[in-house]
Amino acid sequence: MNLTMNLYLPIAGNSVNCLAIFGLGGVVGLLSGIFGVGGGFLMTPLLMMMGIPPTVAASSDSNQIVGASTSGTLAHFRLGNVDIKMGLLLLIGGIAGGGIGVQIIKILRQMGNADFLISITYVLMLGIVGGYMFLESLQAMRKSRKPAAEQPGPGRESIYARIVRTMPLQTDFKRSGIRMSLLMPLALGTLVGVLAAIMGVGGGFIMVPVMVYLLRMPMHVVVGTSLFQILFTCVSVTIMQATQNHTVDFILALLLLIGSALGAQIGAKVGKKLGGEQLKILLASLVLIVMVKMLYDLLVRPDVLLAYMGEH
Amino acid sequence: MNTNRLYRLALIPLLTLVALVGRPAQATPAAMLTATPAAIRIGAQYDGIAMHVAGTVPAGSEVILRFSGAPGELHLREKGKVFGLLWMNVGKVSLNNVPGVCLVDSSLDLEDLGSVAAPFKLEGLRDSVVVNETATEKVDGAGSATAAEIDGDGAAASGKIDVMHELLLLKQHEKLYAEAAGGVRLGPNSGGSRSFSATVAIPSALPPGKYLLEAIAVKDGAIVDRQTTAVEADLTGFPRWLSHLAFNRSLLYGVLASLIAIVSGLVIGLVFQSRGGAH
Repeated sequence: MNLTMNLYLPIAGNSVNCLAIFGLGGVVGLLSGIFGVGGGFLMTPLLMMMGIPPTVAASSDSNQIVGASTSGTLAHFRLGNVDIKMGLLLLIGGIAGGGIGVQIIKILRQMGNADFLISITYVLMLGIVGGYMFLESLQAMRKSRKPAAEQPGPGRESIYARIVRTMPLQTDFKRSGIRMSLLMPLALGTLVGVLAAIMGVGGGFIMVPVMVYLLRMPMHVVVGTSLFQILFTCVSVTIMQATQNHTVDFILALLLLIGSALGAQIGAKVGKKLGGEQLKILLASLVLIVMVKMLYDLLVRPDVLLAYMGEH
Repeated sequence: MNTNRLYRLALIPLLTLVALVGRPAQATPAAMLTATPAAIRIGAQYDGIAMHVAGTVPAGSEVILRFSGAPGELHLREKGKVFGLLWMNVGKVSLNNVPGVCLVDSSLDLEDLGSVAAPFKLEGLRDSVVVNETATEKVDGAGSATAAEIDGDGAAASGKIDVMHELLLLKQHEKLYAEAAGGVRLGPNSGGSRSFSATVAIPSALPPGKYLLEAIAVKDGAIVDRQTTAVEADLTGFPRWLSHLAFNRSLLYGVLASLIAIVSGLVIGLVFQSRGGAH
């Protein structure tokens, strides 16, 4: 019996090995489930290495993240880890920020230095976020050996905490166990939306640290809420890319999705077994690895000095 | 009736003339070139194909075989060094008349066939491809916002990169361009002609479109015969249906893609729940 595992993808315009795509989806889905990031910053370059055009890789990845984040959100919802109120506010901010970011990119392109700023923003964001999370988690893990170190004293309230506390429209976010102004998630969602649009990514790897450090949400709720928010973002990206650029390869997305949805389910359980600090330090390491790879790509002469549109 | 008879009578000398003019010379028998399959059907399991090519050329000739086609525009990003340190996109390059695919093979090394073989090398595309380079990035003051049309060797106006050389590298990486030698097998000379055969590896990334298969016979440093046959590559079956949906009913396609992804994600989530994995 001649059983071929190759499948032709009409939108990508190439054939792929189903098992390789399935495996790739599984690995990225696992990371997505553990950390609550979409995984686009890993999946897109790997798909390009498999011969998928960059624009199709990015758009189809958004389509598969719809499925993976649905599965992941469901798993985290059952575990009580999704703060829907917070997620919706971040989403509204994110959509507004995305619109602003797209306009900023247009202006930058007219000025003629968009790509330089995109690359530098990417590396700096990854470096700062990854570096800070890594160091902070390392310190927290050392301190956690002393149980009394959990609660900060009342007299040690920072300026940031005081500003957050005195902002109007204070409300309770029960799932996250915090109380703050509605404006906070809206403003931070907008900031992440701007950065994500400039960098051309989903923004999960920026949103997670924002939730942890600026919104002070517990890590497990952060992951579930991030996936919930990513679900909506990626639905809009999928429909937009399908209608405007015809770059969504649904078959590729479905193959990735089966792998990644399974991976995300396993990831959610693995994440639950890991401590919050362990999760943070692992995500920080992942972000730093991607940053080093990007820096390497910027410093070493590429094999080919021409690239298709859509590649960084 | 009489008119019909008159036409028939007039046709006799005309047909005789056509037969005499159209008759091939005794010394060069009718040349032929066939490709199997004659058309490329890109279905769900398409993963590139081995196209068998056969034909005859005048006796004593060597053969160059070229499969090329679907010429079109190509817009690319040009990479360069910024601040003498960082490699990134520094400009745009528009290329016209770029064949989507160009696969060349021959019975003898193209170098050994003399200058007449030069246009059939991949490097020969420099003569047909038109390069329009626009440097858009101005981060280190090296780029300019003007477009410069470059022909001939395709070297960049700024002197930074050889665009044509990089294009060939890019296409070779994708396996859409290839140049080989020795893949065309020649038969013995027989009655003023000789047969040849070859297998052309058609890549999996072949875009649908019209292609041209050419067999060029070279003898004593001159082209003595040139045969061509058209090969069409078309989507068929499920890929054709899906492509039609994606390009012609794109909103429906996008919504369906999202809905199926959500349902699949939910189903997988529920399967895990039913297996008692979740709380």
